[in-house]
Amino acid sequence: MIPTYMNIMLAFTISLLGMLIYRSHLMASLLCLEGMMMSLFIMTTLIALNTHSSLINIMPIILLVFAACEAAVGLALLVSISNTYGLDYIHNLNLLQC
Amino acid sequence: MMCTSIMMTTLTSLTLPVFASLISPNKKHSYPNYVKMTVMYAFITSLIPTTLFIFLNQETTIWSWHWVVTQTLSLTLSFKLDYFSMMFIPIALFITWSIMEFSLWYMNSDPNINQFFKYLLIFLIAMLTLVTANNLFQFFIGWEGVGIMSFLLISWWHARTDANTAAVQAILYNRIGDIGLILAMAWFLLHYNSWDFQQMLTLNSNPNSLPLMGLLLAATGKSAQFGLHPWLPSAMEGPTPVSALLHSSTMVVAGVFLLIRFHPLMETNMLIQNLTLCLGAITTLFMAICALAQNDIKKIVAFSTSSQLGLMMVTIGINQPHLAFLHICTHAFFKAMLFMCSGSIIHNLNNEQDIRKMGGLFKTMPLTSTSLTIGSLALTGMPFLTGFYSKDPIIEATNTSYTNAWALFITLIATSLTSAYTTRTILLTLTGQPRFPALTNINENNPALLNPIKRLTMGSMITGFLITNSIPPTTPLQPTMPLYLKLSALCATALGFLAALDLTLMTNKLKMKNPSQMFKFSNMLGYFPTTIHRMIPYQNLLMSQNLALLLLDLTWLEKSMPKMISQAHTTASMTVTPQKGMIKLYSLSFLIPLTLALLLMM
Repeated sequence: MIPTYMNIMLAFTISLLGMLIYRSHLMASLLCLEGMMMSLFIMTTLIALNTHSSLINIMPIILLVFAACEAAVGLALLVSISNTYGLDYIHNLNLLQC
Repeated sequence: MMCTSIMMTTLTSLTLPVFASLISPNKKHSYPNYVKMTVMYAFITSLIPTTLFIFLNQETTIWSWHWVVTQTLSLTLSFKLDYFSMMFIPIALFITWSIMEFSLWYMNSDPNINQFFKYLLIFLIAMLTLVTANNLFQFFIGWEGVGIMSFLLISWWHARTDANTAAVQAILYNRIGDIGLILAMAWFLLHYNSWDFQQMLTLNSNPNSLPLMGLLLAATGKSAQFGLHPWLPSAMEGPTPVSALLHSSTMVVAGVFLLIRFHPLMETNMLIQNLTLCLGAITTLFMAICALAQNDIKKIVAFSTSSQLGLMMVTIGINQPHLAFLHICTHAFFKAMLFMCSGSIIHNLNNEQDIRKMGGLFKTMPLTSTSLTIGSLALTGMPFLTGFYSKDPIIEATNTSYTNAWALFITLIATSLTSAYTTRTILLTLTGQPRFPALTNINENNPALLNPIKRLTMGSMITGFLITNSIPPTTPLQPTMPLYLKLSALCATALGFLAALDLTLMTNKLKMKNPSQMFKFSNMLGYFPTTIHRMIPYQNLLMSQNLALLLLDLTWLEKSMPKMISQAHTTASMTVTPQKGMIKLYSLSFLIPLTLALLLMM
């Protein structure tokens, strides 16, 4: 595999792991989500540039738009949690716990 | 024959003052003197049947008034005049006469002295009913009668809370013993179909142990054996004549008397004999230990009574009921006299009962101190005084019988402790320098005080000899034994006397240290009343409070209906819910399908 793509896939994997394994803050998970989106964006841009196909050029832009929307939704959730509990600690989210 | 009518004269003449007080309550100016004279005449007339019995050895039974005659049971008013009752009646009457004369001096300033004498007389009638009863029903009447009169007389100064507490305590402990007596009565009625002693004692002489256990429980309650004993020291709240009559000579021996009456049934039952022996041995040792550290002179004499009662139970336990009866008779003399001397000392020292505040009474009260010394010597078994003729044969019989060695050993220890606490009492009350306030009017020159004490002193000295030489022969004792066994009682007594003498004389000028644990144990009566009197009623009341107030509400509101439903729902939903709120684990679990997919694809 070309080292470039392996580098980017490593970045994606690390961000994925960082999103799923977190200690106490929700913000860390959102940041890692952004990291995943960015690594995907870089990968699609590089593929579009290396294969010299201009039809794939639209892919990174649409990916970026949707990443921005989802980041906004994630931040809105974070703000609402922070408004209710004061901080974004994960163990505050235990309303369904028995 | 003649002795029956004379005996009935004796017994019925005692009831005359009671009726006199009912018919003409205010006319007798000297009602106490009238009562005392009645008892004296009854004593003199009762000597005649007793003398006839001693010479002829003929027991009689008087069956009079048929009370209830059904097809299965016939209750009559019947009097059994056998060896036990014939010997006991003159002794009881003599002691009651002396005590009544003594209370003419002791209760002189009491406005209710007529009522006091009436109570004493009713007690005497109940006691004689108990002693002469030929069936268990009449016995039970006498038993309850002495219990009721004990209650009334202990709480004589009823404005004092301690006296009321002590009287109720006496009733409660006696009631627990009465359960045993009623159990025995019911068993005898069911199985032997009669309450007459003749029928019960001659039928199947090997019953199962149930009625005898009931009788043992009754004796434990009435005679203050270990387990049901705290009422006897507390009963010293009553006036001294009451203590002298009831709680030394007559009432407390009723339990032992019951066991003596049933001795044909107890002869064959080894379990009951062993139980009686061990119970009596524990009682005598425990009471002697408690008497060592008491400071109230009446309580010391009360514990001494209790210890001697334990010795009587030991005697019954080695199958010698006649020796036990002999000890009852002789013990009555010197114990009543000890109580009367204590009463004399107490009144003369202006109602001071603490022996640490007495002293130096040899010169100021010569007759009282002399008789106190003689009575104490008789109690400890000084050779050829009264106590010797009953106590020494008991110790010899225990030494030579095939019995429990541990019980024998602690009986000997209790014998030495008897002389130890007696020595301590005499040394602290009579010798040394006076420790009471200097402004006293010690005056014992009252014939009402001195004559009874003199009579009982003579009794303490010669009665043992007289009774032993005039009674018919009873169960034979072992006449020969090794010298060390023969002298064991004497040696134990001398040992206790020397040890107490030495300790008291050596240490009464030393500085008083903090009391040791052993002293505290002995002074607080082994902590038995402290734990039992508080703990058991508290647990009962706590349980009843919980049952009555809390349990019903708890059941209906929380455990059965509303809260139980909500609790059940919560528990059920917690068990089956998929949601647990463990977000981190859920997000971690995303990794599992990812890794699985990667592995499967590779």
